Amino acid sequence: MSQPQESMATGAEAPPLLSVEGLAVHFPITKGALWQRHTGAVRAVDGVSFAIDRGQTLGLVGESGSGKSTLGRALVRLNAPSAGVVRFQGQELPGEAGAATAALRRRVQMIFQDPYSSLNPRMTIGAIIGEPLAIHGIGNAAARRDRVRELLETVGLPARSMDRFPHQFSGGQRQRIGIARALALRPDLVIADEPISALDVSIQAQILNLMKRLQQSLGLAYLFISHDLAAVRYISNRIMVMYLGRIVEAADAADLYARPLHPYTVALLSAAPVPNPKVERSRERIILAGDMPKPSETQRGCRFRGRCWLFRRLGAPEECQTRDPKLMPLSRDRSVACHFADRVDGRVEQAATTGAGE
Amino acid sequence: MLLSVQDLAVRFHTEDGTVHAVNRVSFDIDAAETVAIVGESGCGKSATSLAIMGLLPPAQASIAAGRILFAGADLVRLPEKRMREIRGRDISMVFQDPMTSLNPVLTIGRQLTEALSAHERLEKGALNARAVELLRGVGIAEPERVIGRFPHQLSGGMRQRVMLAMALSLEPKLLIADEPTTALDVTIQAQVLALVADLTRRSGTAVLLITHNLGVVAAMCQRVLVMYAGYVVETATVDEIFDRPLHPYAVGLLHSLPNFEDSAGDDLVPIEGTPPDPLEPIRGCPFAPRCAWRIAACWQENPPLAAEHGNPAAPGTHAVACHNPVTAEEALKGAPLRPGFMPAPAPSEATAR
Repeated sequence: MSQPQESMATGAEAPPLLSVEGLAVHFPITKGALWQRHTGAVRAVDGVSFAIDRGQTLGLVGESGSGKSTLGRALVRLNAPSAGVVRFQGQELPGEAGAATAALRRRVQMIFQDPYSSLNPRMTIGAIIGEPLAIHGIGNAAARRDRVRELLETVGLPARSMDRFPHQFSGGQRQRIGIARALALRPDLVIADEPISALDVSIQAQILNLMKRLQQSLGLAYLFISHDLAAVRYISNRIMVMYLGRIVEAADAADLYARPLHPYTVALLSAAPVPNPKVERSRERIILAGDMPKPSETQRGCRFRGRCWLFRRLGAPEECQTRDPKLMPLSRDRSVACHFADRVDGRVEQAATTGAGE
Repeated sequence: MLLSVQDLAVRFHTEDGTVHAVNRVSFDIDAAETVAIVGESGCGKSATSLAIMGLLPPAQASIAAGRILFAGADLVRLPEKRMREIRGRDISMVFQDPMTSLNPVLTIGRQLTEALSAHERLEKGALNARAVELLRGVGIAEPERVIGRFPHQLSGGMRQRVMLAMALSLEPKLLIADEPTTALDVTIQAQVLALVADLTRRSGTAVLLITHNLGVVAAMCQRVLVMYAGYVVETATVDEIFDRPLHPYAVGLLHSLPNFEDSAGDDLVPIEGTPPDPLEPIRGCPFAPRCAWRIAACWQENPPLAAEHGNPAAPGTHAVACHNPVTAEEALKGAPLRPGFMPAPAPSEATAR
C-alpha cells in the first residue's frame, strides 16, 4: 500500500487518475423479520482491480446482473464497498465522510441512465445544475447563475432553459442537463452508467458526440458503463468485460473486438446483431444456454462454465470445474480470466464474431 | 397476401388536442415473411400494431380511415367477438414489457393453459404437458418448476420468453412483436430471435417486427418500413435500405449508429434536433426541420410515398416520400454533397431576412 506513494515521491511514474484494487461489494442476504440473520451474501462485485488514466475512457460491458452498475456506484460511494482500495491520483479514498473525502469526491461525478427519474421534477433546471455548487458553497448566487449559464452552453442548451422544469424537455435534452450537473464541480472523472440506453437512436449519437467533445475540451476521463457493445467500442480507449462480479477480460478497444479471447466476450460479440444484412446472413451466432446464474449462488471453479461453449467443446475439463480462473495478464495491454484462452484464439467462433469469418 | 393495411389513419384524442399518430400507412405482409417497422418513439409504429390487433384504447383512440385486410376480412369493421377469436389464434402479439401483459396473480402454468384452452379443447393433463413443452421450446430450463411460479418470480428475460411461448402456443398466422428484445440482454436477445426465426421457418408464421434496432432488422427481416411522425417515409427490402437508403431520415438513422469497426477517431453524424411535437399540426414534410437535404417545397407540401427510384431488378420494392432524395454518394457520406447546397430556410425565417 505504501508503494504507490513511494513511486510518487521519487517521481518515477505519475499514478493513474483512478486506481482500484480488489474492490468488492457484497449485499447481505437476511432471513427473518425481527431478528435478521445473515444467511449469505450477494457478491455483486467480487474483487475487481483496474486503473483509469487522465483524459481516457474505460468502457465497462456486461449483462444485467453482472455487477457493472454496482461497481460504478461504489466508486462514488453510492454503494459501500465491502473490501478493496480506491485511489484517486495515488491518494486513498477513505470510507468515512470527511473534508478530505468531500474534496476528492467532487472530482468524480456520475451521470445516470434514466434522465426522467434522475432529475427532481419540482426544481428548475438552473437549481438542478447549480445544486452541487450550492452544496459545496461555491460562489454566491449570482456567480452560480453565471456558471449554470456557461454549463448550459457547454452542453448545447439555450440559457433560457434555466427557469424551466424537467418535464418541459425531451429525453435527450434531459440527459444534457444531467451532464451539465455532473460537470458543475469541474470533475476529472465522470462515471456514466448507461447514459444513452433510454434514448432514441438519433439522439444517442448526439449525446455520444457531446461526451467526446467534452472529453477533448475539458480533459475528462470516463468510466462508460453500457450493455451496448457498439457504443462502448465507439467511445472507449480500453474496455473491461464483466461477468458475475468479476472482470473476465480487459483489452484495448480495437483489440477486444478484433480478437476476443474470453469465451464470454466471444459469445457477447457474436450475440449482438450488426446493422449489415450481408454480414448477418453469413454469420453463425453462438447461442448461450440459459441465464446468468444468481450472484448469490456460490460455485466452485469458473463461474461462466455453465454457459460456456468452450467448456462443452473441450469436454468439460477438470480445471474449469475446480479452479476459479484469475484475471491474468497475457501482454502489457490485455488480461483474460480463462484457463483456456489460448484455445479461443484462431477459432472459427472468434472469427465469426465480427463477420470477419466469411 | 396474409395482411394488407391500406391507408390507415389513427388518431389519439387527448386533453390538449388530437394526435395524428398514424397517417395514410399502407403495407402488405405475406405468409412466412418478416417485415420490420423502424422508427423512434412517437413515430406511430406501436399505434399501427395496436390498430391491427384491435387493441387501441377505445376512449382515447380511433381509426379515422383505412382498411386492415386479414385473411379476407376487414379487421377495422369486425365485431369485438370475432376479433377476440382472431387474437391469439390467428394473430398474436408480444410487447416490450412482459409485466404489462402477464397477469401478476396467476401462475405461469395457469396463464399458459388458459390461453391454450381458449382456442383448443384439451384435457387438464394434456394442457399441462403442452404448457411444459412450450416453455421448454423457448429455452426455459426446468419448465416443470417454472409453471408453478408467478411472473414477479422470474427474471425479465424469462418473462419475455414466457410471453413468447404464449404468443407462439397456437402457431399464429401472424406474430406482431413490438420491441420484443429491447429490454433484454444481447445473449437473451439472440435466444429469442433464434426462436422467432425458427417459428417462421417451421410453421410459416409471418412476423411484423417493431423495433428501433437496425442490427435486429438486418438479422431478421426481408422488408422494412421506416416511419417518422406517423408517416411511412421509406419502404424497401432489407438490402436496399442498408445499401441504398433514399430518405434523409433513414440515412440519418444509419449514420447515428456506431458499429464495431468505428473507432474513437470517427465521428458519428447525428440527426440534429428532436422529433416534432405530436400535437402541433404539420405543414409540409414532418422531417423538414431536422433535414440537411430540405428544399423550399419541403416546407410547403408533405411528399407522398412514391416508387420513383425503383430497383429495376425488383420493381416496386423501394419507395420513398421525399422531395429531394439522397444520392448514393451522399448516403455513404451522410451529408448533402451538391456544390453550394444549403438546406432551405423555414418560410418564416426567409421572410424575416
